[in-house]
Amino acid sequence: MRAREPESDAALMRRFARRDAPAADMLYGRFASRIYGLGIVMLGSDAAAQDLVQDTFVKLWRNADRYDATRGKLETWVLLVARSLAIDALRRRVLEARSLEAIGRPPDADHRPQPDELAATADMAARARSAMERLSGEQRAALELAYFGGKTSAEVAELEGIPIGTAKTRIRTALLRLREAMAEEQRDV
Amino acid sequence: MTCDEIRELLPEHLLGTLGDLQDLEVRRHLRGCAGCRTELDRLSEGVEWFARAAHDRTPPPELRDRVVNTLEHEWSDADAERPDVSRTRWIGRAAAVVAIVAVLGWGASQTHRANIASADAASYRNVLTTLGGKEFRVGTLAPRIAHPFEGSVVLYDSHQGRSWGIVLVRAPGLTGRAKVTLSIAGGSAAGNTTIDAGWLEFQPDGDAATWLVTSSDLTPFDRVTVTAADGTVLATAEIELA
Repeated sequence: MRAREPESDAALMRRFARRDAPAADMLYGRFASRIYGLGIVMLGSDAAAQDLVQDTFVKLWRNADRYDATRGKLETWVLLVARSLAIDALRRRVLEARSLEAIGRPPDADHRPQPDELAATADMAARARSAMERLSGEQRAALELAYFGGKTSAEVAELEGIPIGTAKTRIRTALLRLREAMAEEQRDV
Repeated sequence: MTCDEIRELLPEHLLGTLGDLQDLEVRRHLRGCAGCRTELDRLSEGVEWFARAAHDRTPPPELRDRVVNTLEHEWSDADAERPDVSRTRWIGRAAAVVAIVAVLGWGASQTHRANIASADAASYRNVLTTLGGKEFRVGTLAPRIAHPFEGSVVLYDSHQGRSWGIVLVRAPGLTGRAKVTLSIAGGSAAGNTTIDAGWLEFQPDGDAATWLVTSSDLTPFDRVTVTAADGTVLATAEIELA
């Protein structure tokens, strides 16, 4: 008889690897909104964001047996898979734009999110955004470059024109400050 | 590296931007340092909140069906890509193992005959004839869990007090070990009704195999049970008596 304890992420991924549909559904419920949002932010359209969600779940299944819970949280792993795919899509888009320019055709003009795509967010996300406001502009920029751009600390340092140690400190401080701010937000609820 | 040096690298480790060698060093350090693991957990929470803040948008409801359908197609295609695991193939593989067992068990004088047998593995009857055995009996493992599991069992009843059995399994996604037991469905007046046939060690692709060589008479054994380490019965096979 199994105890009624929350299922571990490792067990969930094992079920997903075995093509367990409820496990797939559970993963979708947990991560689809963040992957979709990542697509909206990084790729700028609903269609591209939906493609990103689909591609991410296919990749997650193909690599499900490689998930190692001792090496990090499932949330982080999933988001890095999605981010990596989004960066690949951006690279493809840049290459396509260059090709179109080379033959004299203008690239598609506007990939910015449309108003209906910027829909109202869940309360949790709103509080997370509020926590983001506690970050300085420099910290936020460093974190966004590392997170969305997949930039190393050295690359962030070069882009921002700062020493590498400063770039590392900004990213680390930003993450820790976000965590502390969210802990305070949750205490206040 | 010291803890301070590792902690300086943790954000990049977490964000996947660290070089392979440094990342390996961080992982090794983390395995043996609870303090740095705690720091990693704190930074992970920061990443999660950043994700919520920066990009948490409700996707359109129809996207769920699209993803589910895509996964179903993916799973279906994965089945189609898998190599043929028909009975003939299993028996062919079994016959190859016959050659190995024959070489180990009957000595060099049998090597030539066994090699001839394995070369003609499509017909296990040829192997039987070559080795002078009593009978080959074959069974198909039926899953007892909601998980892809297939496999075959070959039992070889020998005239020479050297019988053997082979269990070949394919269960993608299963890991760890599973125990294989031969038994007599209706019990036996002679006493011993089960034989431990060893452990299956699942490979990353889900393949596993085990065999036993025994002086016991396998003739009355007509059931094979595959049991997980926690006692869950994974599959069983009924094997016709000779």
